[in-house]
Amino acid sequence: MFLFFLFTFVIEPPKNVKAFDNPNDGGNKILITWEISPSDSILDGYEILRRSEKEECFYKIGFVGQGRNSFLDEKTEDKINYYYQVASVKDTIKVLSAISNPAQSYPQWFHRGKLIILLTFFVFGFLILYFIKRARKIELFIRRIAGLSAVEEAVGRATEMGKPVLFVPGLTGMSDVATIAALNILSEVAKKIAQYDVKLIVPNNDPIVYTVAREIVKEAYTSVGRPDAFNPDSVFYLTDSQFAYAAGVDGIMVREKPATNFFCGYFYAESLILAETGAQTGAIQIAATDSITQLPFFIVACDYTLIGEELYAASAYLSKEPILLGSLKGQDYGKLLIIIALILLSVSSLIFNFIIK
Amino acid sequence: MKVRFPLILCLLMGIIGMVAYYIPHRIVQNFDNELRNTALRIIFAFSLVLGVGSIIRHHWEKIKRKREFWEYSYVTLISLFLTAFIGLFGGIDGKGLIKMQIGKFSFDIHTIYVNMAIPLGATMFSLLAYFMASAAYRAFRARNFEAILLLIAAFIVMLASVPPVARLIPKLPYISEWILDVPNTAAKRGMLFGITLGVLSTSLKILLGIERGWLGGK
Amino acid sequence: MVSRRIIYLILTLVILIPLLRPFKLKPLPMKPVENLFYYINNMPKDKALLISVDYSPDTEAELHPMTIALLKHAFYKRIKVGVLTLTLLGLGLAEDALRTVVKEFNERAKTREDSIIYGRDYVFLGWQTPPLVPLLGMGESITKVFPVDYYGNRTDTLPLLQQIKNYRDVGIVVSISGSAIPMWYVTYAQTTFGVKVGAGFTAVSAADYYPYLNSGQLTGLLAGMRGGAEYEELVEKHFGKTKRRKATEAMSSQTTAHIMIIILIIIGNIIYFKQRRRK
Repeated sequence: MFLFFLFTFVIEPPKNVKAFDNPNDGGNKILITWEISPSDSILDGYEILRRSEKEECFYKIGFVGQGRNSFLDEKTEDKINYYYQVASVKDTIKVLSAISNPAQSYPQWFHRGKLIILLTFFVFGFLILYFIKRARKIELFIRRIAGLSAVEEAVGRATEMGKPVLFVPGLTGMSDVATIAALNILSEVAKKIAQYDVKLIVPNNDPIVYTVAREIVKEAYTSVGRPDAFNPDSVFYLTDSQFAYAAGVDGIMVREKPATNFFCGYFYAESLILAETGAQTGAIQIAATDSITQLPFFIVACDYTLIGEELYAASAYLSKEPILLGSLKGQDYGKLLIIIALILLSVSSLIFNFIIK
Repeated sequence: MKVRFPLILCLLMGIIGMVAYYIPHRIVQNFDNELRNTALRIIFAFSLVLGVGSIIRHHWEKIKRKREFWEYSYVTLISLFLTAFIGLFGGIDGKGLIKMQIGKFSFDIHTIYVNMAIPLGATMFSLLAYFMASAAYRAFRARNFEAILLLIAAFIVMLASVPPVARLIPKLPYISEWILDVPNTAAKRGMLFGITLGVLSTSLKILLGIERGWLGGK
Repeated sequence: MVSRRIIYLILTLVILIPLLRPFKLKPLPMKPVENLFYYINNMPKDKALLISVDYSPDTEAELHPMTIALLKHAFYKRIKVGVLTLTLLGLGLAEDALRTVVKEFNERAKTREDSIIYGRDYVFLGWQTPPLVPLLGMGESITKVFPVDYYGNRTDTLPLLQQIKNYRDVGIVVSISGSAIPMWYVTYAQTTFGVKVGAGFTAVSAADYYPYLNSGQLTGLLAGMRGGAEYEELVEKHFGKTKRRKATEAMSSQTTAHIMIIILIIIGNIIYFKQRRRK
C-alpha cells in the first residue's frame, strides 16, 4: 500500500503528447509522439489510449516499452478526429498525460522522402536519353572490351572444332535486370551462332527466363534468315535448385565438351563450380556478371570477364547500334557527376570535421 | 502488333511499378500489390508447367533419338515422375492421399528431402573447396605489382581466419577486417555506382523500347 | 591433370582428419559478430528475436551452427524467439535446429520455469510464399501472415504471439542465408518498418555485404564457419559450456585447409619463378 502511494507520487506522466497524420503513407495511420517521462527509468512502459470524435471515452490501443517516445496507430479511419493520451505504467499504476491535439489520418499522393531519388532518376535519365538522341547524329567512341571482342573468335572456334556453345543466363529471375542484360547478350550471340551454324545449348534455372530465352534464340535465327536451323531443344529448363542446376550444367560441360562457355547474368556460390569445370574441359570461357563477390572466381577461371557495368554495356557493344552506344555515353557522364559529388562532399566533410570542429 | 503489343505492355507495367514506388496512396498500392502478388503467382505457375514440359520433351527426344548418353535421361524422367508421385500421394510428411509406408519407413517428400536433397546439395557445395584450392594454386601468381598486392591481401585475410595465428598476432584480424572494410568496400561501392547506372540505363532502354534484345532484337 | 588430382587428394585428407579428430581452438570474436551478439544480449525484455532460416541443405554445414548458436543465446538469455523461413527447403533445417537446442535445454531444466516451452518461449511460424508477403506483412501482423504455425496451431492462441504482434515488437531479425535473402529484409522490412536486421552468410558471399554493415543497415554479420564459431565462443564466454560447438569443431578442418591453400600458393609461386628464371 505504501509502495503504491510512493509510486503514484514518484511517477510522472509523459509530456507534450502530439498526434499527427503519419507522413508518406496510404492513410489509416496516425503517429503519436511524446517527451519521455522523467521517471522513465523505473517504468514498465507507456500505454497509449485513444478516443475518436464518435466515442465518449478513451480505449487502450497499444503498449510500448520504456525509453520509447512514439507509437504508430495503424487502425484509424481517415478524415475522423482522434484524441490520444499516453500513460506512464508501473505495475498496476498508470499516470495519464494531458489529451493530445485532434488528429486526422489521410492518404498521400506523393512520398516526399523519395523526392531526391526521383530527381536523381530524372537527371541520370535525362543524360542517358540526351546522349541516345545525340548518338543518332554523331559517331561515338567506345573503348574496346576484350571479352566482347573475343565473342566472334569464340564462336568461330566452336565452328572449327565442330563443338557446341554453352550459354548460362545466370541464376536470377526475369525481375533482375542482370538477367535481362544476359538475355540481350544471348540475342547477339545467338545471331552469330545462327550464321556459323553451330550447336547452341542454353540450360535455364528459372521457368520464366526459359520461355523468354527460347523466344529470343528463335527470333535471332529468324532475323538472320535461318529459322529452319533453330532447334527448339537447344533451350531448355533444367531445375530451379541452385546446386542441382550447377550439377546439371557441369554434366553438360563434361559430356558435350563445348568449345565456348558463356556465363552471363547474376551468379552465387556456384560460379566457381561452373567456371572451374569449364576450364578443366578446355573451353574458351567468357563471363559477364554484376555479382561482385563472384567476380574473382570468374576472373581466375575464365579467359575473359566482363566486370559489373560491362555486362550492361555488352548488348550495345555487340550490336553496334548507335542509339544503344549513346546510352553508354550517358552512363559515363552520370558516373562523372557522382565522382564530382563524392569529391566535393568528402572534401567538405573533411573541412567540417578537422577545421570547424 | 506482335512487336508493338509487348512493347506497350512493358512500358505500361514499368510505369505502374514506378508510380507505385512514389505514390503511397492505397488505391495505387492495392493495385500494385495485386499485380505483384496475384498476377505474378499465376504467371509463375503457368511458366512452371512450361518448364516441366521442357524437361520432359528434352529428355524424351534424347531417348527417342538415342542421342549420346541417352541412358541418363531415363534417370531424370524416372526421378521427376517418382518425386511428383510421392509428393502427390505421400504428401510432405506421409499423410497424403495414400498411406505410403512400409513399416517405419515413409515414402514422402520429407524423406526425399532429408535423404537425397540434403546430401546431394551439400556434396555439390563442398566441391567448391576443391575448386578453390586448384584455382588458387593455378592463378595466384606474383606476376606484377598488382598481383603481389592481391597476394599479400589474400594471405592476411586467410591467416586471420586461422584462430591460432590470429591469437598469435592479435593485430592480424583487425588488419584483415580493415582490408575487407576499407579498400574492399571502397572498390565495391565504386563498382556499385557503375552497376546501378547500368541497371538504370538498361531499364530505361527497355521501357522506352530502345533496347529490344529481349524481344529477339526486333 | 596429375597435380590437380594430388591437390584434391591432399585437401581431402587435410579436411577429413581434423573433422574426425578436431583439435582445440579458441576463435577470436570480431567486431561484426560482437555487434550482433551484444545487440541481442542487451535487447529490451519485451522485444523478440526473429530468426529467418533462409538456407537450404547445400549450405547447411556452414550456416546451421549459426542458427543453433543464436537459439542457444536466446534461450540462455530468455529472449522470446520466432523462427520462420523464406525458402521451402529451410523448413526441415529450422525444425532440426529447434529440436536440437530445445532438447538440450529441457534435459537440463528442473522446473517448468526453467524449461523451454513452445508457444511461451518460442514459436515456429513455418514458411510462406511469395517472400514479399511475410516480409511486408509481418510489419502489420505476424498472425495475419501466419494464421497457423508449422505444427498447425492457430497462432493467435499462442501466448508469445499475443505479445509479439509485428516488427515493432521484434528487437532484431537475423536472416541466415547462402544467397541475398537478408538484403530483402533490409530492402523491405527495414526500409518500410525500421526493424533492425542481422545476417549470417556463407564465407564466400559475406564480403558482398560489408558495405551494408558499414552503413548500419546490418546490425551485425556472421561470416561463414568462422562467424558461427566466434558466436559460439561469445555464448560460451557469457553463459558457460554448451553441449556441442559444431562451428568451432569444423574450424579445425578450415584452419588446416587454409594453411594448405597458403602452402599451395607459395609452391605455385616458387614453380612460377623457377620457370621464369629458366626462360
